[in-house]
Amino acid sequence: MVSRNYLMNIDCELCTGCRRCAEVCPLNAIEGEQDAPQFINSERCVLCGQCVQICSAYASAFDESLTPRAIKLRERGMLETVKEPLFAAYNVGHALQVKEALASSELYKVVQCAPAVRVSLAEEFGFPYGSLTPGKMAAALRRLGFDRVYDTNFGADLTIMEEGNELVKRITEGKDLPMFTSCCPAWVNYAEQEYPELLHHLSSCKSPQQMSGVIFKTYGAKIDTMDPAKILSAAIMPCTCKQFECTREEMADSGYRDVDVVLTTRELAQLIKDKGIDFANLPDEAFDLPLGNYSGAGAIFGTTGGVMEAALRTCYELITKEKAPRIELNFVRSGEGIKTAMVRAGELELRVAVVSGLKNAAKILEDVKAGRCQYHFIEVMTCPGGCINGGGQPKFLLPEYREEAVRSRKASIYEHDSRLKIRKSHENPDIQKLYEEFLGEPLGHQSHHLLHTEYVARKGQN
Amino acid sequence: MSGTLNSFVVANPNQCIGCKVCEIVCFAVHNKNNQVAMSVGTIAAPVIPRLYLVRGETFTMPIQCRHCEDAPCANSCRIGAIKQEDKRIVIDENDCIGCKTCLLACPFGAIDLLPQFKDGEAVIQANLKEESEFGLEEKVKTIAYKCDLCQDHGEPACVTACPQQALTLVIPAEEKKRRNRQAAVNLLSALN
Repeated sequence: MVSRNYLMNIDCELCTGCRRCAEVCPLNAIEGEQDAPQFINSERCVLCGQCVQICSAYASAFDESLTPRAIKLRERGMLETVKEPLFAAYNVGHALQVKEALASSELYKVVQCAPAVRVSLAEEFGFPYGSLTPGKMAAALRRLGFDRVYDTNFGADLTIMEEGNELVKRITEGKDLPMFTSCCPAWVNYAEQEYPELLHHLSSCKSPQQMSGVIFKTYGAKIDTMDPAKILSAAIMPCTCKQFECTREEMADSGYRDVDVVLTTRELAQLIKDKGIDFANLPDEAFDLPLGNYSGAGAIFGTTGGVMEAALRTCYELITKEKAPRIELNFVRSGEGIKTAMVRAGELELRVAVVSGLKNAAKILEDVKAGRCQYHFIEVMTCPGGCINGGGQPKFLLPEYREEAVRSRKASIYEHDSRLKIRKSHENPDIQKLYEEFLGEPLGHQSHHLLHTEYVARKGQN
Repeated sequence: MSGTLNSFVVANPNQCIGCKVCEIVCFAVHNKNNQVAMSVGTIAAPVIPRLYLVRGETFTMPIQCRHCEDAPCANSCRIGAIKQEDKRIVIDENDCIGCKTCLLACPFGAIDLLPQFKDGEAVIQANLKEESEFGLEEKVKTIAYKCDLCQDHGEPACVTACPQQALTLVIPAEEKKRRNRQAAVNLLSALN
């Protein structure tokens, strides 16, 4: 596993010690005196990347006392063609590694993109905030040389199948409630290091990225008649922590690394520019089938409340065996903080909570510890507003741009959902086919082996 | 008299934390024509601010143009590229020949000479070339930059964006009246 320290850094040559990053860090992991360069305490950092987003201490191109830009780019794992300014807080990138892999004729290159990337990528090319461009994104990935453009949204639908059934099982057995979502790797890191005694409350489901990854190298390899050893599986994420997630030792249930490398939204944009692709004028292209097919439920995973809403659309029907009366559950669509709701599903009063921003998680966790927590199901996303505001998303020049962008991205994601013909994960025909042909049933033997994981207490062990 | 004075932006060093947001936002609003949009990824040219964060042992604050009434930069400009315009002193960046006299004349160091960019690309001089080990190379045009009080953008962007509210747009006539009123209030409370 790569060390966390290696993935998130503050360039002490550029840091002015304004400590705005320390204000947004949910773990108080940024240490240093005011007006002096800051350091990230890797024992505490969960790699959310909010410091990367807020940092405004840029490297002046005209300051000759600084380490040359070319050296800084190399240190940061960035392509040498990147023109944008460099800032003190940064995450180490992997675009060089992906570029090299894409040039190889030996490898079969497969890619997936998180739900939040398709509503932000175009901003890096001057499009209005939150422009929804899944078609251009798929076209760009193909022109970069990926052999299969699959989708994390498919994995999100798969996650709902497993997580929904897991929730119903836990409720039926009255065991390990409340259940927390487990899609957000920074949240999982946080739970592992801060609340190891509550790890059995986390859903055992892998994240959509890792579920997609393991399916690509098993079922995907089979349908494409490809040797999984030759598959290079890349993921494009709005997140600076997903790279860490894919290197976790246990994420190799396909027999190989389930996901080999992760790029952030920003890195994908840089790679597209590096290749000279005219993004603005790309045609809309479709994702490859079957592992690129997704429902509206998969699409809304990228925003706070989205995983909850997607889960409820399926859980309602699992519990009642009847069609849900409504699809759009506005009462779980929240902003920042904690949002709670009660959903009636037949006889059951399902109590749910949505936590947006990791700073808000401690209160609920303390309640769980004290046995005071009355919820059945709790969604936690580390970044305020969810993945649409992730640490790997386009960074803004002005603070007020960011708020507006997050609002637009959110509207865009729900708009995308509302226009899709299939809105529920369990109605995705390619998910149904995956179970018929390969997995068997949700929570079954094969699912257990490939799609579920275990967590490790790691207090002070990073 | 004060009604005709130029406005200017001034920073409070006690509030400034040195984050450089002012420099970034200054660059952003002046480069909309350089295809700089709202995200960092759209920036293809180097960041050129028109105010400069200065750091000393005990302080940090941005320094920028005071829009002097008898502007030494304008008085020294040999080609008349620096003008008084609507309560501000502005440089015509297209006329500027990069002679640097204004840089020497400014008592605040508020003017810098840096490469000119258009549509994200450096502007190349028509004839002047530069000797290098690979022979004659094109030479980038260098021009004088300074604060123009965001002439095309309404209120100065640095004032609005500063997360510490450390910057103030001073409109001398209003500032004078405010101080008069404050003095009267102080006097009154001293008498009572």
